[in-house]
Amino acid sequence: MRVLIGGIGYLYLRDGSLGPAVVALLSRETWPPGVLVEDLSYGPVAVMQRLEDMKPPFDRLVLVGAVSRGRAAGAISVYRWTGPLPDETEIQARVGEAVTGVISLDNLLVVAGFFDTLPREVLVVEVEPQDEGWGEGFSPVIEAARNEVLAVVRQLACEGDVEVARA
Amino acid sequence: MCFKNLPIEFDAHGKPRLRSGEPDPFGTSRTIAASTDPALSRDKIEELLARNGHIKNVDFDPVTRVAGALAFHAVADLKAGTIVEARSMATLFRGYEVIMLGRDPRDAIFITSRACGVCGGVHSVTSAMACEMAFGVSPPPLGVVVRNMALAAEFLYDHPLHLFLLAGPDYSEAIVRQTNPELWERATRTSAPHAGLHGYRTVADIMTDMNPLTGKLYVEALHMTRVIREAYVLLCGKYPHPQTIVPGGMSTTLSTSTFNEFYLRLAQFFEYSKRVVPLWDDLCDFFYEANPAYKQVGARPKNLVDTGIWDHHDAYDATFANAGAWGDRRWATPGVIVDGELKTTDLHAINIGTEEFIEHSYYEGWDGGRFRTDPIGNPLSPYHPWNKETRPKPTGQNWREKYTWDTAPRWDRQAMEAGCYARLWNTAVAQKIASNPYIESTGQSLRLRLPAGSLPEMELEWKVPEVWNALERNRARAYCIPYTALVAMVNWVAALDLMKKGHTKVSTPFEVPKKGQQVGVGFWGAGRGWLTHHLEIQDGVIANYQILTPSTWNASPMDPWKRPGPYEEAVLNTPILETFSKQEDYKGIDILRTIRSFDPCMPCTTHIHTDHRVISREVTTCACGVDD
Repeated sequence: MRVLIGGIGYLYLRDGSLGPAVVALLSRETWPPGVLVEDLSYGPVAVMQRLEDMKPPFDRLVLVGAVSRGRAAGAISVYRWTGPLPDETEIQARVGEAVTGVISLDNLLVVAGFFDTLPREVLVVEVEPQDEGWGEGFSPVIEAARNEVLAVVRQLACEGDVEVARA
Repeated sequence: MCFKNLPIEFDAHGKPRLRSGEPDPFGTSRTIAASTDPALSRDKIEELLARNGHIKNVDFDPVTRVAGALAFHAVADLKAGTIVEARSMATLFRGYEVIMLGRDPRDAIFITSRACGVCGGVHSVTSAMACEMAFGVSPPPLGVVVRNMALAAEFLYDHPLHLFLLAGPDYSEAIVRQTNPELWERATRTSAPHAGLHGYRTVADIMTDMNPLTGKLYVEALHMTRVIREAYVLLCGKYPHPQTIVPGGMSTTLSTSTFNEFYLRLAQFFEYSKRVVPLWDDLCDFFYEANPAYKQVGARPKNLVDTGIWDHHDAYDATFANAGAWGDRRWATPGVIVDGELKTTDLHAINIGTEEFIEHSYYEGWDGGRFRTDPIGNPLSPYHPWNKETRPKPTGQNWREKYTWDTAPRWDRQAMEAGCYARLWNTAVAQKIASNPYIESTGQSLRLRLPAGSLPEMELEWKVPEVWNALERNRARAYCIPYTALVAMVNWVAALDLMKKGHTKVSTPFEVPKKGQQVGVGFWGAGRGWLTHHLEIQDGVIANYQILTPSTWNASPMDPWKRPGPYEEAVLNTPILETFSKQEDYKGIDILRTIRSFDPCMPCTTHIHTDHRVISREVTTCACGVDD
């Protein structure tokens, strides 16, 4: 079983840096053979090309990052990416953003999904940020959620498709 | 004499000085001739909009998440097929210049890199150059050469993106079939003159492979970004924000293996160029032959400005005093072209001719008296970047007063265009490039000799165009791929030669001055052209920092003399050639082609709407979203 755990986000944007911060912590842990932990915050197209290169491909991809969707701050959402893609106009928009520097979990799913490089199992852990302003450290609510995020990512990476639906 | 509008003259030794007898030498009250017929007054526009159903607001309103934002407002007369008003709006204040204040000058190398998600390295280098001028340190020859190779690689990432992912889709089957079906029909029966080189039998075949997402040229461009990103990372450690660019050179450890690995990737661009350039030649010529009015789409006077880039390792010493000399030795010659004529290649003249105005921008003015002269005594305007201060003030927001976060840079008080094509143009006409086997400046053209690979050796020649417009910007961009790749090649050869001779140092130690005042400027370039960072240090920390990017020039608003910026001027000159039977079908493709030909550095989600009702869909960096 080959598993890739990937964090996505920007450095020094407070809660927006959750993805890179989480994988930095996870990368210090001991993992079963076949599990790789990486910061995937280097652009959806480059990540898509990295996934394309993997021979054999990863069996499972666990992505983690802060995504603002209007939920309660600190809310953890976990879902299985089932691959619905937007229309081609929207996909082109996401590729355009990707090649001009936008780092985004949504864009990664769309770009890698369109070019068919995602592993067969993709699990996503999102956290609703409170503060994405310049700076280091998380807001208190994200700081409080961090250990739970780490636990969820560990569980998904090692056990895969668990009952994870959350608000 | 290179200045027509500034009160600066030159003595018998070519030394600039203020003209005598000018009571307010840099005052803005003096009239300056317009290069394009002025747009109608706002009152007249409002009257026309109210009276005529065929005169419409056409607003392009991009909103970006990270790297900046451009919105564009135009008023189109759909009956006459003309644009009667054009306004370019930068909709986001980013404040990098403010963030810099009070910091260690070395921080600027890493912080300003974040100004762009594509070309962070150019900001790092420009910043490092400003620092090394202020610190009094210069890189060893190999440091200069490797910097050149790295930044050539960065541009080779940028050029295919523009040609096939950002601007290119505007010329794809998907768009042309919708916006000009008669052109598509003609393309299906037009043989491509260079089919033997690029492999496409008809122009329609080219357009089909330019379709976004699925077209082979689109997908290949995406692949080429990977090839060159790998080359870049070999030298810079990571992309797009390198950690290896320092004042006094590079901090990378290099070996002959590094250079070999770099070359393997670079060589792919020689082969790529041999197909891409003739392909864009065929595409541009097809549009002209189909309708000569395409020569007017995006047209504006041949006014271009560039600081040059890629220093010669025998010439660059990082001093301001010698900037004229080392500038002239660059692999891309600095220069200013006014009405098609090369006015100067002297970096000192280019520098003192540069000013920024804020009459129509969301800023307030500044005193501007800190530096009356540059470090060698040449007169400086109070509007020069070394005198400018960034004071945001978003008030008076309307078309008559202030409408953008961009400033209005001018050279000799004229709206100038920045772009990699200015680099190409200056080098072609100046005939100052050092003798080398690959690139030849003829005075009217640039000859580019590509080595043999899987395809035979080939010479390409970019000729100074008769007209300057959207298609020529794109054509020149295509030629910038072989030009850039060959500059990398020249420097690659120089790097191996230096290694062979034992000159393996890539950096020079330096100290940050802790006391007193120092100034520096980085004269460099982005993939899109001009890039300068003007730095002032006071007692070891940054006292002022001013960044002037190519999009600052191109997206600029009107100036104090009510003359439009380059985007605005080019759109005002653009005829509406799109085919539509009902006004609500109008998609604005000619305006979009015009703006995108400049490669606006504003990754964006764009909403297009006309008169509050017609088009309201998302497009991103190409017009592929204007369909239903």
